[in-house]
Amino acid sequence: MAISTDLKCDVLVVGAGPSGSMTAKWAAKNGADVIMIEKRQEIGSPVRCGEGISKSWLADVGITPSSRWINVEVEGARIYSPSEKVMEINEKHAGNEVGYVVERDAFDKALAIDAANAGTTIHLKTHALDVLRKDGRVTGVKAKQFGQKFEIHASVVVGADGFESQVGRWAGIPTNLQIRDMDSCLQYRMTNVDSDVRYCDFYLGKCAPGGYVWVFPKGDGLANVGIGVQVSKLHHPAEVRDYLDRWIAQHPGYAKGKKIDMVGGGVSISPPIKQSVADGVMLVGDAARMIDPLTGGGIANGCIAGKICGEVAARAAKSGRTSKADLMEYDRRWRAVLEEKLLRNWVAKEKLVSLPDETFDKIIDVLSGVRLEKLSVLNILKAVRERYPEVTQEFENLL
Amino acid sequence: MPGKKDLYIESSGQVCVSCGACVGICPLNCIYLDEWRIGFDEEVCTRCGICVRACPVGAISIG
Repeated sequence: MAISTDLKCDVLVVGAGPSGSMTAKWAAKNGADVIMIEKRQEIGSPVRCGEGISKSWLADVGITPSSRWINVEVEGARIYSPSEKVMEINEKHAGNEVGYVVERDAFDKALAIDAANAGTTIHLKTHALDVLRKDGRVTGVKAKQFGQKFEIHASVVVGADGFESQVGRWAGIPTNLQIRDMDSCLQYRMTNVDSDVRYCDFYLGKCAPGGYVWVFPKGDGLANVGIGVQVSKLHHPAEVRDYLDRWIAQHPGYAKGKKIDMVGGGVSISPPIKQSVADGVMLVGDAARMIDPLTGGGIANGCIAGKICGEVAARAAKSGRTSKADLMEYDRRWRAVLEEKLLRNWVAKEKLVSLPDETFDKIIDVLSGVRLEKLSVLNILKAVRERYPEVTQEFENLL
Repeated sequence: MPGKKDLYIESSGQVCVSCGACVGICPLNCIYLDEWRIGFDEEVCTRCGICVRACPVGAISIG
């Protein structure tokens, strides 16, 4: 039924991706009256993602793995250097995109169902057009559904509106990205390819400047074959597509495949944002630039922050204390969990994107031959120093 | 618009995949994504060309 009157709630979540649903669920569980709006007609579709997630964090945020959304459980990752030397990394150490390859549309729906079961009201095909403000604070959004405009008044508005986030910009929270802090991505879902269901594969170097080519297996000869390239390294229209098509053409196991789906998208590879809350408003997930700048994975961080966001939003709304200072509890808590790693991986990414192909080859060559007890930057540097001291010269201070 | 080149965003879906990459990177926040359709603010846009580079499929051109 179409909405013909203004609505009112404690917590309004804009966007029903994983971060939004997680926020809505935990806000509802903590006693808030929650509305979540989604601009599309179907949650989770079209998919805009490589569909790889790690496992370790799921239980902490209350997600139970389900065969409804798991395609494949991988053993680990394989990292390919430019000359295709390869190193294997166990799933536990492989970063936040390796563990399960999921069916993202089913995953997103499962999380939205959790949010709904916790008491969230969901409105589909509902766009936010702007935020409502009173005395400089955000008090809701102007929305539109089936051509009908109305207002949704809320004690707290949560912007979970993804990479192209508008809520933050409307609310005056700076989320702008430098072009070196964004990867432009394209992915084909392909059938009849020679992917190995035991591994998520990553190809580094000049095949994808400032990013990588990924192959995430989905079973039965199906795989997501995608690429991310740093925007500062792109100069011509559709260059990302050219890079991906070239890589596929050069790999017979994939060149013989057939494309059944195409996905585009932007991924932030930036340092953490300086501000995630303002009076009456909070940002979470890709909208808050929480994507891991090294791996490009955003789901784990978005869900971890979403749980905190929901808890803080509910308490703030119930107590009527929703100023920026009150909402800073969320900012502090997500930073305590995520910020150090985001920063460290951003520094590592900055270094990696400047490495020439020969250096990648040397590093992967060394790592493919040693068994590291624990995969850490320090252990990697030590191993590389033994064979190629010239490569690690710049890192002597770390060693 | 005097002094400005034409910016063309193919938003019918023939080239555009509605991914929002251009929306997220626009330094002036003048590109928007309706449910599927991409549009931009002719007045605000300076034709800086960042969206052209960021678009993964080549749906945006300036000329």
